[in-house]
Amino acid sequence: MRLVDPHIHMTSRTTDDYAAMAAAGVVVVVEPAFWLGQPRTHVGTFEDYFASLLGWERFRASQFGIHHFCTLGLNPKEANEPRVADGVLGLLPRYLDKRTVVAVGEIGFDDQTPAEERAFHAQLDLARAHDLPVLVHTPHRDKKRGTERSLALVREHGFPDERVLIDHNNEETLPLVLATGCWAGHSVYPDTKMDEQRMVALVQRYGAERIVVNSAADWGVSDPLKVPKTVAAMQAAGIPADDVETIVWRNPLAFFAQSGRVDVTMLAASTAVDQGALFEGNSVLRGQTPLVRSPR
Amino acid sequence: MSPTTRVLLELLALCVPETGRAWAAALTDAGAAARFTADFAAATRRAGQAPLALDAPARDRLRAAGVDWPLDAWGADDLARVAMLLHAADRLPPGALVALVEDANAHGDTDERRAVLLALPLLPDAARFVALAVDACRTNVRPLFEAIACDNPFPQRHFPEASFNQLVLKAVFLDVPLAHVVGLGARRGGELRRMAADYARERRAAGRPVSADLAGLAEEGR
Repeated sequence: MRLVDPHIHMTSRTTDDYAAMAAAGVVVVVEPAFWLGQPRTHVGTFEDYFASLLGWERFRASQFGIHHFCTLGLNPKEANEPRVADGVLGLLPRYLDKRTVVAVGEIGFDDQTPAEERAFHAQLDLARAHDLPVLVHTPHRDKKRGTERSLALVREHGFPDERVLIDHNNEETLPLVLATGCWAGHSVYPDTKMDEQRMVALVQRYGAERIVVNSAADWGVSDPLKVPKTVAAMQAAGIPADDVETIVWRNPLAFFAQSGRVDVTMLAASTAVDQGALFEGNSVLRGQTPLVRSPR
Repeated sequence: MSPTTRVLLELLALCVPETGRAWAAALTDAGAAARFTADFAAATRRAGQAPLALDAPARDRLRAAGVDWPLDAWGADDLARVAMLLHAADRLPPGALVALVEDANAHGDTDERRAVLLALPLLPDAARFVALAVDACRTNVRPLFEAIACDNPFPQRHFPEASFNQLVLKAVFLDVPLAHVVGLGARRGGELRRMAADYARERRAAGRPVSADLAGLAEEGR
């Protein structure tokens, strides 16, 4: 089965992770711009970070036959850092037209401050101007309130529900999201957020419509194979194969395809790069003249 | 508009998909300068990446306009972006052009940075972009390295010897066929031969194969 991990921070992961993900069937990843774990104090560091998400990381993924897309934005935590917040908001228009940018994100609430709310509004404006959907992070602390506030802000702004993915849901927040037209993401984690068995129970209760599953793997304790592991858990629990495919393939692609920058037919037909074959191919050509070009 | 810009734009009109035609036609209109960064970013989505598939008359016209190296690796988006840069060069004063090129490179994704490198040999007073091109050789993103190292006359024309030698050795490391390094024959010197010979020895000592390109560069068997 082909899988999408629609929220994973590959910048923080190793090539072993890419290899294991490819072997487990992951062919598409979406990497949201986020907080890197330590403070950034210059706007320029975001330029370098965005460049990495648009270039280097996409290339690394391609070496394992994985299609890499990203979402760019000012994350909620750093919306509170005055040394970068306005500068990054001013920088984003330079990047949001690029072809592998499939949403504005992660935006939303962390501490639920006025500065976060202002950046949230500003980035909904940017998403509208650049015809992109948005990926909304929900806070670790005071999560239910944060989710309610996010849904209310989207509504107040008049941003279309179907172009909003509310992420990191749990048993408390999922019904709130499903009551709107927004999509609902779930981050399956080793210890916190959501786990495979709880995810199975949520799907059994609420079905597959607008449900998305991701690993949200990053620089902390996390597992880049949580999407395939959740597939296995859903299969073992007898969830219909069609529903499983909807959750881990059709839904995430349908959501991000609203950017107009995701060719679902191409992704469905693509085959994994065989590095061995590529290497052999190149070595056969050594010293000869045929044109050899890397995929870009 | 320079003859080269004109030829590239005419070829672009032939190879963009139906959906990108109006966009391509507007690249030189009165509002184009104001839209440069947005158009430059959107070129791959607008023009697509189909190979140029140039016929003999098209190649003749390119040669007459000074483009006498193969464009086999170029896609329609590359053509669009290079044409945009040349058009900017036609209208901008020198200092403003340098700023625009450096800005396009600094804020570009892989496709945009590639196009900047492909355009370098066609820009006026191209030698002033040596630092940008040498820096591009430090990339680990193979398509970017190939954009400057393969079928591009810029390094041969403008790189200092040490940088040119580094480029060639990196091509060997990456198994990029040396036949695509423009002007290698003319710029081959004793220092590059020594570097290649050292590398070949290092590979043998590690029990690794030595490619025909590397052996040839080291002039083994001569």
